[in-house]
Amino acid sequence: MKRDASGRIHFKIVFWGASPSGKTTALKWVHENVEGYNKGGFTSVDDPNGLTLYFDYTTLTSESNVIFDLYTVAGQKRHKHQRNVVLKGTDGVIFVVDSSRNMMPDNKFSIEELRDNLGDRLVSNLPIVIMLNKRDAPDSITKKKLLSELGLDRYHTYETIATRGIGIKSAFTSLAREILAKNLQKIEDKQRKVL
Amino acid sequence: MLNVKAFDEILSKIIKSESGIKKVILVDRTGLTIAHVSKFSYYPVDIDGIGAIASAVFCASEEQGKNLDIGELKIVTSEFDDGKIFAASCGKGVLCVITEADVNIGMVRLVIKKGSDKLQQILDEFLAEKPVAPTPTPETTKEMAEKEELEAALKELEKF
Repeated sequence: MKRDASGRIHFKIVFWGASPSGKTTALKWVHENVEGYNKGGFTSVDDPNGLTLYFDYTTLTSESNVIFDLYTVAGQKRHKHQRNVVLKGTDGVIFVVDSSRNMMPDNKFSIEELRDNLGDRLVSNLPIVIMLNKRDAPDSITKKKLLSELGLDRYHTYETIATRGIGIKSAFTSLAREILAKNLQKIEDKQRKVL
Repeated sequence: MLNVKAFDEILSKIIKSESGIKKVILVDRTGLTIAHVSKFSYYPVDIDGIGAIASAVFCASEEQGKNLDIGELKIVTSEFDDGKIFAASCGKGVLCVITEADVNIGMVRLVIKKGSDKLQQILDEFLAEKPVAPTPTPETTKEMAEKEELEAALKELEKF
C-alpha cells in the first residue's frame, strides 16, 4: 500500500503467468467490464504480434480515492528481467494458469520463477489468487491435478475462460477484497496496540 | 510531518526553468506516479500510464547496466522527432522530464541534476514507513482516515 502526493492510496496487482495463458485478455476484460470503479486508460507495451513485450497497465479508482494499479507481465521466458521489474512492490498477484495439457511445463516454470522472485513473501502473507484459465480447452487438465502438480492447493482458485469473461470478475474481486481486508486488519492491529 | 506540497514546488520549479519542458513526472521504482506537473496541452495523456512506462524503462536500463557491469545508471534519454524524454535517478524514485525536440539539453540535464538531489531527500522520508506512536497523534488520525477509505473501497467493490 502506498500513497501518492495527492494522498490517494494505491495497491499494485500483477497478473503473472506463462505466455499465452490469458493475462492480457483477463486484464482487458476487467478494464472493459468494470462497474462501480472509475477506470483509467489502458497502456500496452507489446510486440508486432500482439504478445506482451513488457507489461499492460490500467487503473481502477474507487470513489473513496483507493486506486488499484493493475499490471500484466510479459509471459515469454526471455522477458525475465522485465517481469522482475514489474513485480516490484506488488500488493497481490493473480497467477494465471493455462489449463491445456501441453502448457504444464510452462506453468511450472512460471510458478517456480514467481516463487524465486517473491521468496518468503509468497509463503507468508502476500495475497494470491489462482485463475485456472482456458477451461474450455479440449485437452484441459482437471482442476485437482493442475493444483496439485503446481503446488497451489492452498490458494483461492477460480476456473476461468478469459476470452468470454467467465470467472474473471470473481477472481479479481476476490484478490482486491483480500488486499483491502488485509490492510484494514493491519490498521486495526496497530490501533489495538495503541489502546 | 512531510509536506507533500514540496514535491509540487520542486517539479514546478523544474518545469518553469526551461521553456522547452512540457511535463515533469515523479514516479517510484514500482511504477507509481507520485506527483506531476504539466504545461497546458490540447493533447490529453494518461499520466499514470506514462509514469508506469517511465519507471519500467528506467529500471530495465538499470538492470541492463547491472548485467553488463557498467556501473550506476544516471539518466536515460529518448529522442523522438517531436520531443525528448529524460528519465533520471533520484534515489528511490525516477524523475521523468518531457520536452520539445529543440530543448537546450545541457540546461535540462543541469535542472534535472539539481531537482533530483532535492527530491531524493524528500522521497526517502515520503516512502519510509513510520512507526506508530503510543499515544494518539496526527499519525493515528491518519490511520483512522485510511481505515475509512479502505472500508469504503471494500463496499464499492461489492458493486463491481
